[in-house]
Amino acid sequence: MEEREGGFRKETVERLLRLHFRDGRTRVNGDALLLMAELLKVFVREAAARAARQAQAEDLEKVDIEHVEKVLPQLLLDF
Amino acid sequence: MAAARPRLSAGREISGGRAMEAAGGEQRELLIQRLRAAVHYTTGCLCQDVAEDKGVLFSKQTVAAISEITFRQCENFARDLEMFARHAKRSTITSEDVKLLARRSNSLLKYITQKSDELASSNMEQKEKKKKKSSAAKGRKTEENETPVTESEDSNMA
Repeated sequence: MEEREGGFRKETVERLLRLHFRDGRTRVNGDALLLMAELLKVFVREAAARAARQAQAEDLEKVDIEHVEKVLPQLLLDF
Repeated sequence: MAAARPRLSAGREISGGRAMEAAGGEQRELLIQRLRAAVHYTTGCLCQDVAEDKGVLFSKQTVAAISEITFRQCENFARDLEMFARHAKRSTITSEDVKLLARRSNSLLKYITQKSDELASSNMEQKEKKKKKSSAAKGRKTEENETPVTESEDSNMA
């Protein structure tokens, strides 16, 4: 797994998921946790990149909330 | 670690029971705050990467919004994963469940499958290493054992 500046910690991912489980017996195995960490990383980067592209399409250098709002529907459909 | 438990409301409750329930609720709230903060921190780091790549600036509200969206999306992910595992009659979520989660976008599915394969092959390597180590420790003659033996006999070898 590539080590970059950002990335979700395994522990954080586990707690995030466990928070919403309906059954107390549900567990997540190690590999699945690592994959979920990757998935979340991709999710955040996609959201950021798409919002940035939207801002750039509007000839702006600063990415604001409206840009996130514009790209949000398609982002959620893709995940 | 606080396990997430659904709060059951019984018909009759003793005041002591209610206090404990409230305390449990508080603990959950605290956990949620900490997780939100952790997600926000990582989101900030990742947005910083993207900002550098693309030569843009993200406003604080933008980072906060992306962080909140991610946090909320985790609820959907968690519920889906739990359902997938249960559907397969398992109580442990595996990589197969995560791959199923990533099905909506072809490139995403490809990426996750690739990562999953990388993990699987590095797990295999680890297992191979462990096997060799344990059999060397037991003093059985394996292929690997011959090499250290020859080295010690050849004192000329540096």
